[in-house]
Amino acid sequence: MVHLSSFLLKNYHGGYVVIRLALAGHKQANRPFYRIVAAYNKRARDSKYIEQLGTYDPLPNIYNEKLVSFNFDRIKYWIGCGAHPTQSAAKLLGLAGFFPLHPMTITVAERQRAQTLQAETSTAEEDMREQSQKEADV
Amino acid sequence: MAALGAARCLFRSHSRVKNVQKSKHMLVKCGARTLCSGTKDTALSDDAKPQFTDPSVQDILTRITGLDLQKVFRPIKQELKPPTYKLMTDEQLEQATELATEQAKKLLKMPPVLQERKPIYDVLSVDKILAGTDTAKYVFTDITYNIPHRERFIVVRETDGTLRKANWEERDRLIQVYFPKEGRKLTAPLIFKEENLKMVFSQDRHEDVLDLCLVQFEPDSSEYIRVHAATYEDLDKHGKYELLRSTRHFGGMAWYLLNACRVDGLLVDMLKKELLQDAVSLVSLFHMVHPHSESAQEAANQQATGTDLLKIYAQKDSQRSGYIELALQAFEQLDAKSSAA
Repeated sequence: MVHLSSFLLKNYHGGYVVIRLALAGHKQANRPFYRIVAAYNKRARDSKYIEQLGTYDPLPNIYNEKLVSFNFDRIKYWIGCGAHPTQSAAKLLGLAGFFPLHPMTITVAERQRAQTLQAETSTAEEDMREQSQKEADV
Repeated sequence: MAALGAARCLFRSHSRVKNVQKSKHMLVKCGARTLCSGTKDTALSDDAKPQFTDPSVQDILTRITGLDLQKVFRPIKQELKPPTYKLMTDEQLEQATELATEQAKKLLKMPPVLQERKPIYDVLSVDKILAGTDTAKYVFTDITYNIPHRERFIVVRETDGTLRKANWEERDRLIQVYFPKEGRKLTAPLIFKEENLKMVFSQDRHEDVLDLCLVQFEPDSSEYIRVHAATYEDLDKHGKYELLRSTRHFGGMAWYLLNACRVDGLLVDMLKKELLQDAVSLVSLFHMVHPHSESAQEAANQQATGTDLLKIYAQKDSQRSGYIELALQAFEQLDAKSSAA
């Protein structure tokens, strides 16, 4: 008898399909590489998925590019079947232009900008204080 | 998402229209043609000018390429197999040679000669909010299997937040990453640099360079056109046309020389090898490509054929008229002797 269990994926009670990043090649330390994957929600992050929809390499290459690939045709199919993308998958799709920009991307960008501004103003204040001190000394 | 789908449909149909236009109007721009000092051509409409893919042009180019079976099927680097020997009658040998000629014609199919591709400047969106959030660019490739590589979406999100389409070099590199083609490298081999090209040409390995170039680059990339131009220039300078005869690059070389109006070297070489028919067809092709030149108009007036065409060309438009006329006289003497004897 042919074992069909690997072909027929389990039906989970109350489970749904997600589009998420799964770590690939996890036997290699300090070299992450993600697969963009349609999987059941209840499954472990790196375990059996339904279909691979792309890749994401978080480390930039010699041209300072982070390579991301998407199989838009199949992504459209799974979204049509009711799959939910996770936050990071949605952020990547937003950066790609497929989705509108994720609100957290904008929030994080604004927070970073506020922080750099604050750092600049605080360093400017310190410089001013040093200058006034030197003048006072002289 | 719907907007992207609609944009993609538009992009696909537009690029199909572009492809149709490209195949009909593949032209060599006026810049190359102004090299011809003798021709006083003004504005030739695109439709009147013969293109590389016209059946008449292709016919003539295949004829002057020649069909030397020994050279086409000479040993190339393959895995070693012991040779097979067959015992055949004369008829079977003829059939086998016919099959061989068919296959040789397929092998001699000319690679395309296209205009240099225009660079891509499309910007899809500008998001100033994202400026400074990341130190590296993101490059997004669409890996759907069924779309042709020309229509694939490859976009780059820069560090300053602009989402733009990738330019041609990035496209070629990423398509090679996700859909690798045999023999193509991610970074171009060092043989295509100027100094290395010169060394390779001194070793007479023009054909290998052209084969490598064909595998590595797209036919309308600037690198491909530059390497081919350099090869043809070197061949023309040293007169080594025999290296490319009976290979698939001969037609391309002849077309390049025709458009630059420098057919004299090739013509002289043909006359030396006593290929009179080829010389005549070359001159007729020259007249097709440059119908406003003096020799073309003269020939059209006189309805000349054969050696008369060559004489007219030698008088009017060539720089080495002396040699061509001498060779023609020699041919006529030979003809007179053979008809007398």
